Amino acid sequence: MNKRVLKFGAVALAGAFALSACGGSEPAATNSEPADPGSLETTIKILAPSYSDSSQADWQAIIDKFNETYPDVDVELQIEGWDGFTDKVSARIQAGDYPDILNDNAFAASADAGILYPMDEVLSADTLAAIEPSLLANGVGTDGTQWAAPDIASARMMAYNVDLFEAAGIAEPPKTWAELETAAEKLVALGDDVRGYGMPLGREEAQVESSLWLWGAGGDWADGEGLKADTPEATEAFAQMKKMYEAGYTQANLEDNRVDIADLFQAGKLGMMMAHSAIVADAEAKGVNVALAPIPAKDGGDGVALGVTDFIVAFDNGDADRKAATSAFLDLMYSDEMYEGWYKGTGLLPVTTSMIDKGKAESDENGAAFLEALSIVKFLPVGNPAWDVLQTALQGSAYKVGSGDPAEVLAEIQAQVDAQS
Amino acid sequence: MSLTATPSMVRDSTRRRKRSGTHAVLTALPWLVPTLVLILGVVLYPAALMIYTSFFKYNNRGIQRGDAPVGLDNYIGTAGALTFPGVPVGRILLNTVLWVAVVVLITVVLSLALAQFLNLEFRGRKALRLFVILPWACSVVMTATVFRYGLQENVGLFNRLLVDTGILQRAQAWTKDPTSAFWVAVFVAIYVSLPFTTYTILAGLQAVPDDVREAAHVDGADGLRRYWFIVLPLLRPAIAVAALINIINVFNSLPILRLLQETPGYHTGHITTTLMFEYQRALGPGVSSALSVLNFIFCLVIIAIYLAIVQPTKEVA
Repeated sequence: MNKRVLKFGAVALAGAFALSACGGSEPAATNSEPADPGSLETTIKILAPSYSDSSQADWQAIIDKFNETYPDVDVELQIEGWDGFTDKVSARIQAGDYPDILNDNAFAASADAGILYPMDEVLSADTLAAIEPSLLANGVGTDGTQWAAPDIASARMMAYNVDLFEAAGIAEPPKTWAELETAAEKLVALGDDVRGYGMPLGREEAQVESSLWLWGAGGDWADGEGLKADTPEATEAFAQMKKMYEAGYTQANLEDNRVDIADLFQAGKLGMMMAHSAIVADAEAKGVNVALAPIPAKDGGDGVALGVTDFIVAFDNGDADRKAATSAFLDLMYSDEMYEGWYKGTGLLPVTTSMIDKGKAESDENGAAFLEALSIVKFLPVGNPAWDVLQTALQGSAYKVGSGDPAEVLAEIQAQVDAQS
Repeated sequence: MSLTATPSMVRDSTRRRKRSGTHAVLTALPWLVPTLVLILGVVLYPAALMIYTSFFKYNNRGIQRGDAPVGLDNYIGTAGALTFPGVPVGRILLNTVLWVAVVVLITVVLSLALAQFLNLEFRGRKALRLFVILPWACSVVMTATVFRYGLQENVGLFNRLLVDTGILQRAQAWTKDPTSAFWVAVFVAIYVSLPFTTYTILAGLQAVPDDVREAAHVDGADGLRRYWFIVLPLLRPAIAVAALINIINVFNSLPILRLLQETPGYHTGHITTTLMFEYQRALGPGVSSALSVLNFIFCLVIIAIYLAIVQPTKEVA
């Protein structure tokens, strides 16, 4: 009995010593720059979506380079698909397991809840200056704080099939809504299941498509501090969308997503669609002759281009070491050396000014057009916490414009937004 | 030693019995504890947490807004489970009742026939019984996905079959219309529920004694009367088990409807279970927990009605 007690006590004591050695280091009294990179010892967690098959490898390349300077910082990378990505983020937030770096397409809800570090505390001044200002502005919340930094961008312009246009006898891409209708009519007259204009109002893209038409009508979602859906311009825009659908110029099902429309376009069965650079690249690879034009507005003018950026946000875990490691990691990620490989793996457009200029010099005509558009794009009001609600309402109800009355559809959307304010 | 029982012996034996009663419980407890812990941890605690969650406000990212409970706001408030604008709640409740009633009824009726057939002696019976089990063995998500792709408007195989054989003039977008997708889902649900119900009833059929049936035959009862008055009442427990489990499973069935409904938003093809998951995505855990609690009560009501009408535990006269 005594021997057993002694043995057990020895094992317990040894175990206690071993476990205490595994504990984290003392929190260093540093502010932003760690005094000695070699000695920083902590773990940071990254949660990112998969932009393409190479996303995991692209992130790993940055992590490997990071570990050359910071060998004792453990970087845990979690890559998830876009499908259900929001649910995974919510699950981690609810569990209290905040990632140090989150790459997501929204930030307003987390910023509103006060669980983020402002990006100007995390990114160095040099890095912030390297990001294109018009894109950086997209990460500013309604309170004026820079909560998020953009990581990649896409610009949407109107892509049209040059061969179909020639066959239909359309000389120039349309600039006004009336010209758009005429062009679509001529395209549908070609027969053989050819559609004029793709209008995806499904679960994924309804908010983008509706915004483009709204801006074309000269309106905007923002109404002072909040967002308003049932404005007269919105009703005009939705009425025009209904007109296009009823005349048979669009695809058969308004609830189709951008993927379905892109399939039609890449098969050469669609004349015009709002596309980003990846869709255009895919279409050209399939042999479609694509050209780009600004999106038609009601009365012409310069037209509209829509910009979308995804964001990098840093969650506040209350640990100065993790914050320092996060800072160092992000500064490395945005550096020219690492960012070029990373953004090219996503197939979308870069956000740092140096990379944009480099891209313009290297790309073909269509690629350069998208990069040019980055300086004039308008953004969806993602900095406004109410946008999440409006976006969900649009995604759920916008397709009803085909069968219902535009004013009623907008009233329903507005009612859903009001119910949650 | 005397042969007659003395009062002290009687007292001793009753005391021993009483002691052995509590003693029995105490000896059984260590064996019960793991199960109790499991039930508490996996069933009761999450349920209690869900009820607790339904009384707080969350945004759709799962972040709690405000520390104070909000009463019945998540149930019938402005953004409540039953009162959210644009949601056809009455139609959805009707859909739920239709979904459970139609699927379970048709499944049980078809299973009775199928079990009767599989009870006969014929060559290849074993192989046929194996084939009947297959839809149950396949994942429900997979079956629903096969139907979803098969009914796709442009390239779906089922659509092509229907058009080529002349049953349809043009391929229909079955999954894009809420109502047609709903009835396709009913068909798929019956398809995946048949194996379990058939086998439960088949097991019950083995318990029907042959001599009772023969006696009825000798008395002049034809096949149908024999079935209705002899076999069916004896099958009542088996049907009750099958129907109850089916009601619960079909009511909670998420993948079939979710995969086959391609219309976004709060359309008229929802049932309360799929609506709950739509709320989870759009309005956060507070409202969807509220709907889940209501769902649970609804399910209990349906089961209570079933038990009251069918009275499966009533003794066969």
